[in-house]
Amino acid sequence: MEPIRVLIAKPGLDGHDRGALIIAQGLRDAGMEVIYTGLRQSPEQIAQAAIQEDVNVIGLSSLSGAHKTLFPKVVEALRANNAEDIPVIGGGVIPTEDIPYLEEKGVRKIFTSGTAMSDTATFIKQLVQGEETPPPNKISHIGIAVQHLEQALPFYQHSLGLPLESVETVEEEKVKVAFFPIGDTRIELLEPMDEDSPIQKFIDKKGEGIHHIALDVDNIEKRISLFKEQGISMLNETPKQGAHDSRIAFLHPKAGQGVLYELCEEKQEG
Amino acid sequence: MSGSYENQKNKWKQNVDKTLQKFPERKEPFETSSGIPVHRLYEPEKPEDGYLEKLGFPGAYPYTRGIQPTMYRSRHWTMRQYAGFGSAKETNERFRYLLDQGQTGLSVAFDLPTQIGYDSDDPMAEGEVGKVGVAIDSLEDMEQLFAEIPLNKVSTSMTINAPASILLAMYIAVGEKQGVAKEKLTGTIQNDILKEYIARGTYIYPPESSMRIITDIFSYCQENLPKFNTISISGYHIREAGATAVQEVAFTLANGMAYVDAALAAGLEIDQFAPRLAFFFNAHNQFFEEAAKYRAARRMWAKIMKEKYNAQDPKSWKMRFHTQTGGSTLTAQQPDNNIVRVTVQALAAIMGGTQSLHTNSKDEALALPTEDSARIALRTQQILAHESGVTETVDPLAGSYFVESLTDEIEEKANEYIKRIDEFGGAVKAVEAGYMQREIHQTAYETQKDIEKGEDVIVGVNEFTIDEEVEPELLRVDEKLEKNQVEATERIRENRDADAVADSLKKLREAAVNNENLMPFIVEAVKVYATVGEIANVLREEFGEYTAM
Repeated sequence: MEPIRVLIAKPGLDGHDRGALIIAQGLRDAGMEVIYTGLRQSPEQIAQAAIQEDVNVIGLSSLSGAHKTLFPKVVEALRANNAEDIPVIGGGVIPTEDIPYLEEKGVRKIFTSGTAMSDTATFIKQLVQGEETPPPNKISHIGIAVQHLEQALPFYQHSLGLPLESVETVEEEKVKVAFFPIGDTRIELLEPMDEDSPIQKFIDKKGEGIHHIALDVDNIEKRISLFKEQGISMLNETPKQGAHDSRIAFLHPKAGQGVLYELCEEKQEG
Repeated sequence: MSGSYENQKNKWKQNVDKTLQKFPERKEPFETSSGIPVHRLYEPEKPEDGYLEKLGFPGAYPYTRGIQPTMYRSRHWTMRQYAGFGSAKETNERFRYLLDQGQTGLSVAFDLPTQIGYDSDDPMAEGEVGKVGVAIDSLEDMEQLFAEIPLNKVSTSMTINAPASILLAMYIAVGEKQGVAKEKLTGTIQNDILKEYIARGTYIYPPESSMRIITDIFSYCQENLPKFNTISISGYHIREAGATAVQEVAFTLANGMAYVDAALAAGLEIDQFAPRLAFFFNAHNQFFEEAAKYRAARRMWAKIMKEKYNAQDPKSWKMRFHTQTGGSTLTAQQPDNNIVRVTVQALAAIMGGTQSLHTNSKDEALALPTEDSARIALRTQQILAHESGVTETVDPLAGSYFVESLTDEIEEKANEYIKRIDEFGGAVKAVEAGYMQREIHQTAYETQKDIEKGEDVIVGVNEFTIDEEVEPELLRVDEKLEKNQVEATERIRENRDADAVADSLKKLREAAVNNENLMPFIVEAVKVYATVGEIANVLREEFGEYTAM
């Protein structure tokens, strides 16, 4: 993979470049190619440098209080040069209350004093690689563990009045599942097929109830490798077969504060 | 040896008597809460070999124990809070507030356009006008800045470097308008360009021309402003940029020697200008190292001036310095904790014998200080001065095995750096080669990594953190200020005598070309309301502009 290219820039007249120099070196140590503009760069100069150097992201640093004027001007200069696809992030002495204004003006993220270099590096990786990996499309389904499907079905079918879409077995997971479409998403009831089924283990430990939330994604392999780079651990490092011929992978529940998330890439139509 | 010791001690006693006539001690006697008397000076029972060479007596060479014989028993340090924001009028109000609160000297912060020689209406100034300090374009702004503040009653420190000559000229002109002769003006201009290339970034011209402007100022002040400190050789910003305590001392003294060399090369006499050189150091959290740092720096400078430059006047040997607590040690998280950091740092500066002190406000990691937080910062100094009792004996840390050993080691390690800088051909050459810049950056980067690995604990940042939602009240500079300032400057341009301005700038240009002292020409130009930007631009055209590698 090509290394990420970053332009670190000091807009305006501020001469405090300790932070800019440190972050430049920190990002280099994180494997990125970093170009530092030096002091006293105008927004136009910064935009030109970013275009010429073909960078993936621009990091601005200001400690003089001029950020509200200068950061949006860099975004504007990029736009004027048809380079608005280069995201702009910033840092320095920036009061929290200015952040919404800057984000509204197109600055993607502000890192205030005390941010670890590694957090900034991770954000940039996400930002750059995330451009090709959009966020999940929707909640694919909510999985609910039940001991006996036939006992659960009447509530969903008759009380809620949801149509039963299908009932199928997923041998790999040792579960029998029933799907109810609801709006743009589904409710999935999961019944364990035997004692060794993960769903049975879940019910033994926690009782019946919500088991997981599945997120509808495109390009599941890429998503998994992105998570792994960010240090998020996966229960499945390669996608496996799910219901409806979808491909799925579970995240470790500690990634989501105890919620078990499933990535689910539906079978492409046609 | 002991004969010589007694001899020195008697000299000190005579020195004390002389000092007391002018500056009587604040109390008679000083004593602890238990009634134990606190003596002026504590000495070794049996002075060891080397005591006089290493420590000596306060007010005597090599000044390790302080530059005055009675130190803070007679007078506290000058409490000098750096302030300035927005317009001259607002800053004037803050100054008068601080003077009312018992502050004893002024310290002016200028905005970045002023510091880099741009008028507020210059495109380069956009967004920066009045942000980190007061915007000064013409003499009119300066008149407003010091309105109702008699310049013969205050000493004023101005953090101004590349255009120091212009702001000093304006100060002279304001004094003249108030009826204060320039010989009576007291204060300091920072005027330390080398550390701008190294660490602070507000340079304009290349080093050679900058050094010439500085020696012009030395020479002019020697004759016209004999009580004004012509430079404040600053380790502060070098430290803020990431240097260690040792690097701070080494690079500052190396810069100091470069100014001395430049002045000597310009034909000045060492004992004529050296007494007006002042220094400016940082105070960080490691209490004993900081206190030792000041003591080491004082001893080193005394030796340099006496032994290397052969200065004869003891005033040339004395390192007088201002201290500011370390801005980069403050945290945006749990800002109240910063009051404690500032207290420890201020105490170290006092233990090190500082002549004046600025204590930072707790909210400086977030924005410019509010009036409330600026008052707490000043109160911190007042509590240390009046309540803690640390001021009642001279150099109370002397003789501590730890502190004396640290003092020696800082001197030794700083001398190693100075030797390396000498190998480059002195500080100017080392700066041009980027040597100090690289050393500082390396230290800064290592420090940051240690913090992120958790090897250095920063309370509230990587340990003892809390979820904070309360946003403290911050001082905001009014967004309309820039527009108002631009309009005011345009008005000045319309209403002044345009021919007189053009004439004064022409003469300044000729002086620049003909290598005449620039100061008198700059004074004439500011008096006819030529602006900071116009004057700086004439010199830009003649001297060129510096760009960092």
